[in-house]
Amino acid sequence: MEDLVETLTRGNPTEVKVVLASVALALGCYQLLLIAVGYGKLRPGFLGARAASFSHRAVGDALAIVLVVVAVVCLTLFELEDDTVAHVVCGSALLAVLALKVFVVRVTRGSSRALPPLGLAVFVLLALTWATSAGQFLGAV
Amino acid sequence: MARQVLGSLLAAAAIVAIAIVVVTAKLGPTSSAELKAREERLELRIEQQEEAREAQEETRERD
Repeated sequence: MEDLVETLTRGNPTEVKVVLASVALALGCYQLLLIAVGYGKLRPGFLGARAASFSHRAVGDALAIVLVVVAVVCLTLFELEDDTVAHVVCGSALLAVLALKVFVVRVTRGSSRALPPLGLAVFVLLALTWATSAGQFLGAV
Repeated sequence: MARQVLGSLLAAAAIVAIAIVVVTAKLGPTSSAELKAREERLELRIEQQEEAREAQEETRERD
């Protein structure tokens, strides 16, 4: 598995992980805007609530795949060290809350009141996970 | 509605492209961060190999 990741990333797994994590964070911000339109908190003239909710779901599916790929790279190539505990905790919590959100969406068909707080939790954990690894790598934090 | 969905998905694709360009530009083609990460991974592998050798030697000594 380690060789596969090294080959796919051409020997730059850290950089690829940083790019993917940053893409995930950028999409996470966009997801907040989309669902704000979906719930009617924002009402731009060019985008309706139904279209925003549909796009939120589609982008969320893609985002979940990106996060799983990043997690696989992390688990394959990096080890738990003293200075990575916060990143590991945030990343693990992110995947757990994301899985719970997907489960709630499937069970309640998107009508649960738990979805907004779960979505916010996913975004906050995503931001923390990025800040404790990719953000530090880029020197942004 | 289809146009709105298509537009919002194209906006998402644009965000992805911009994020990739910005982060890649920040990293650079041969960034020092990349070299540092390679060195760290190399050191980690060497340590693991040494630990494995030591473990093998201990096993031999016991036998």
